[in-house]
Amino acid sequence: MMKILIADDESLARERLALLLKEINPEYQQIEASNGLETIEQVNEEEPDIVLMDVRMPGMSGLEAAHHLMNCETPPAIIFTTAYDEYALQAFESRAVDYLLKPIRKERLEKALEHCSKLNKLQLEQLGQQNQEVSYRTHISAQIRGTILLIPIKDICCFLADHKYITIRYNKEGVLAETIIEDTLKSLEEEFSSLFLRIHRNALIRKDKIEALEKQQDGRILLKLKKLPEGLEVSRRHLSSVRKLMKS
Amino acid sequence: MPKIKNYPRLNSASSINHEAEQNSLFLPDFCALKMVFAVVVIGELLAIVLTMAPLRMDKQLWNDMALVALFIQWNGLMCSSALCLLRPFFKNYSNRFVALSSYLILLLIITLLSELTFYIVEKYYLFDAISSTSHWEFLVHNLIIGGIISALALRYFYVQHQWRVKVQAESCTKLQLLQARIRPHFLFNSMNSIASLTRTRPEVAERMTEDLAELFRMLFREDHEMIAWARELTLSEYYINIEKQRLGDRLKISWEVNDIPDDAMVPALILQPLLENAIFHGIEPEINGGSIVVAGELNYNQLIITVENTNSKNIIHRQGNKMALANIEERLKAHYHGKASIVCQDKDDVYSVIVSMPYLMQDES
Repeated sequence: MMKILIADDESLARERLALLLKEINPEYQQIEASNGLETIEQVNEEEPDIVLMDVRMPGMSGLEAAHHLMNCETPPAIIFTTAYDEYALQAFESRAVDYLLKPIRKERLEKALEHCSKLNKLQLEQLGQQNQEVSYRTHISAQIRGTILLIPIKDICCFLADHKYITIRYNKEGVLAETIIEDTLKSLEEEFSSLFLRIHRNALIRKDKIEALEKQQDGRILLKLKKLPEGLEVSRRHLSSVRKLMKS
Repeated sequence: MPKIKNYPRLNSASSINHEAEQNSLFLPDFCALKMVFAVVVIGELLAIVLTMAPLRMDKQLWNDMALVALFIQWNGLMCSSALCLLRPFFKNYSNRFVALSSYLILLLIITLLSELTFYIVEKYYLFDAISSTSHWEFLVHNLIIGGIISALALRYFYVQHQWRVKVQAESCTKLQLLQARIRPHFLFNSMNSIASLTRTRPEVAERMTEDLAELFRMLFREDHEMIAWARELTLSEYYINIEKQRLGDRLKISWEVNDIPDDAMVPALILQPLLENAIFHGIEPEINGGSIVVAGELNYNQLIITVENTNSKNIIHRQGNKMALANIEERLKAHYHGKASIVCQDKDDVYSVIVSMPYLMQDES
């Protein structure tokens, strides 16, 4: 039987959806999540077929969670729910993504469940661009053995490019960890320009982790980051912006 | 060190929008096909008027009319293409500057084209009335006619633009005023909560509907109304009750307002938008919620009301519409003529808004 995940931060909203789903079909298997992070966890563990996703949730918004779910091997179908979200609504309408307005009508929910199709990556990216609140992600997701691994942006030390892949070095419960994602430094740089700084063709570093600049004997300049044992090379082209940041 | 700053854009929301419209370019887009067509038609009509005006009915009439029309079309299209090309440049300047400079440019184009026409016509003997003796006359005539027509056209565009601005401003203000005072999300989220409660706990749903009705009754009243503090406090409690149903334990609030006399008069619903902001920025973005402190004191005949909320630790701050604070500022100005103030302080873990206004009793307000 179909498994449905209700993702909403408000318990009353979840309660109502659960009741409506039960009326539509008592055999639906229902699970719940109260924010974006829990949604990802539940999807990893329970592998639901459909996610009813609130656009606004604390911690991680519904749009961002949907973005990460796309990294799943078999992503669930997503139906967005929202009370009133001017920007999101405009975006949904123009991208033909299914969304339900709260309070949700039973007939409307039934129809959405029948017709729900999978959101594609392009649609989702365009949604994100039009929605100001999720203009950049709070987490980066990587796929590891079929499940989604989420890395909070605030734990990330640097992104290092290596051919097609990017290595993320981050702080995992006090220990330095590494993981690999497929992305480009250019898009990461654009997305997180307020938090990260490009210091080399192959390195993007967290601004508030900068510790010191060191000149090597061979003329190379290395940047030391907090909690990172080795220095990272700063290219001549990016040196002035690093210096400027360190002065301010 | 705490950063203390005034809120960045304390204009009323409606006036922001109004200004943006006011500063928009008054000239229509001359590159648009519709506009080119209009210029051609008007030019043709002008040619007819100009040739028929002297009450003549000779064989030459049609021939002259065609030549005049050709000349006018030439002028009209050159002028509109100049305005079309200059449009991106004009966007950065005031309408006064744009009006003056476009007028001068139009006159310049007319002068140049007249000179060119005169040169061609004289060389090929195309038009009897024009000969070397009438050079200045020709130029002056064209400049007078062109000057009048351009001035009329520019004036027409300006008046039309003003009218459009006014209509838009009027239609926006009412909706924006309401939205500045309450977020539409609040209404729809509350409706959703009520829909959910109706089945499980009808008595709570009933209570919530009553609270909601009372809040909206006050919202739809006149903007300038003053109410007693006790009443304001009750309304704020209704609002918080509704939000508590929705947010549950995530919303923690404490009231430290006993110092304010119940009979103090305050602008109606001055507190509710501040609470709404505190919830939007401090409580909703956090998984574990946060807390709000409402404090009030009476200090040298000034009422000082502070609304504090824990700052969200989310590195990404929620973008608000900044309308609520602007609207409160505007209302304080209208009520107290500079004797009241609203200040925001953004410290690391606490965000607070402090409203200060004179203590007025029932009959003074």
